[in-house]
Amino acid sequence: MLPEWMRETDHYDVPPKDGGTFVIKTIQTIGRIMSRLKIQAGHEKKKHFPAMVKLFAMVLLIIVTSVCQNRVVLLATAAVLLGYLCTWPAKGLWGVLKPPVAAAALTFVLLIPAMLMNPAGISNNLVVVGKVFLCVTMVTIFNHTTQWNHVTLALRKLHVPGVFVFTLDITLKYIVLLGNLMQDLLTSMQLRAVGKHDKKYSSIGGVMGVTFIRGTEMNEQMYEAMRCRGFTDDYRGL
Amino acid sequence: MSKNLIELDNITFRYEKEEAPVLKDFSMSVAEGSCVVIEGDNGSGKTTLFRILTGLSFPEKGEYSFDGTIITREYMKDNANSKRFHKRIGYLFQSPDVMLFNPRVYDEIAFGPRQMGISDEEVEERVNDCLKMFNLQELAGKAPYHLSGGQKKRVALAAVMSLNPDVLILDEPYAGLDKGMQTWLTQFLRDLKSAGKTLIVATHSGELLAEATDETITME
Repeated sequence: MLPEWMRETDHYDVPPKDGGTFVIKTIQTIGRIMSRLKIQAGHEKKKHFPAMVKLFAMVLLIIVTSVCQNRVVLLATAAVLLGYLCTWPAKGLWGVLKPPVAAAALTFVLLIPAMLMNPAGISNNLVVVGKVFLCVTMVTIFNHTTQWNHVTLALRKLHVPGVFVFTLDITLKYIVLLGNLMQDLLTSMQLRAVGKHDKKYSSIGGVMGVTFIRGTEMNEQMYEAMRCRGFTDDYRGL
Repeated sequence: MSKNLIELDNITFRYEKEEAPVLKDFSMSVAEGSCVVIEGDNGSGKTTLFRILTGLSFPEKGEYSFDGTIITREYMKDNANSKRFHKRIGYLFQSPDVMLFNPRVYDEIAFGPRQMGISDEEVEERVNDCLKMFNLQELAGKAPYHLSGGQKKRVALAAVMSLNPDVLILDEPYAGLDKGMQTWLTQFLRDLKSAGKTLIVATHSGELLAEATDETITME
């Protein structure tokens, strides 16, 4: 039997002010991040060098760039990297350059107070910004030219512990699932947030908590399923 | 004859520009107080259709009108419009897991009514009625994510019903329910229809609702 209020139509006025935009913006941000993750999976290029060589070269170059004091070496590195990027099709170029430009811009903003307090050190601060740009460019080029399963294989050949590679691999592969779950939870919340929602931060906390619990459950279930199929904690990548 | 509450006119929708459309030139109308069953294979676009009906996605071509108002992205950008619209349409997701984010079953059901500006007594009355109706009294203090699949489904449905929507959109409501609960749900949906609510139900168990169904739409 339906209660009386369910048999009637509510005469409901939307409160003039509410904080619903927060939820909508959060959903949109998560959607954007997730779509970026999906696109990255399709950016793999033909491999010219083994992933291990590329990984080793990238780590070495990052260390050299970080400790190098000679600006000519840094400029030469930048020239080589940008020259290499010139051979790329224009379509994919912005995708590679966007993260380093953003990282360099952020570093610059963070260093503004230091530059204002010590104008004599501006050139050194700009070198730091340049180094950040170069290092992030190397990582994004590596990311766009190497299939992820080749990276995990390379990490194993470099004797990185299996449990570390396994955790990294699974996290990157399945974070999209958790992103989807979180997006659906926020959408469902948005559908039911029909008025003035005074405890929106508590609800967002609930969404985060549920996502964490589901993540843990999924992790345990997948590990058990893998063990049932012969997994012996020695992860070799796929 | 009741007026058409929902009208879709030649809707085309695709998720990515390069992909084939999930819905192509799809039209349907739903009269106020009627019960429409949507059937179709997995991947035939039922959930996409529901996303459009609930204002979560928007067609690239065609028009969707709800109670005489054309629902567009621009219309839904206005927060007040969006909330007024969602107050009138209740949506039960296929998986109840994505609907439960509150620490207790009681709070989950009270989430919607607490925002409607009604008195605390009225909120309590609605929540208690829903707990009783869905046989959830003993679970009121429990965390929703620790419940079984069928219990979660009942909590999710109770959470939607506590908003007293005019239109109820149900995506596979019978999935995960035992026989007893399926019979109960069928009777509940019949009662809702008798009370003048509009029902749109996607199900592979259309025979359960056959008596109450006004129209069956098969999606391909």
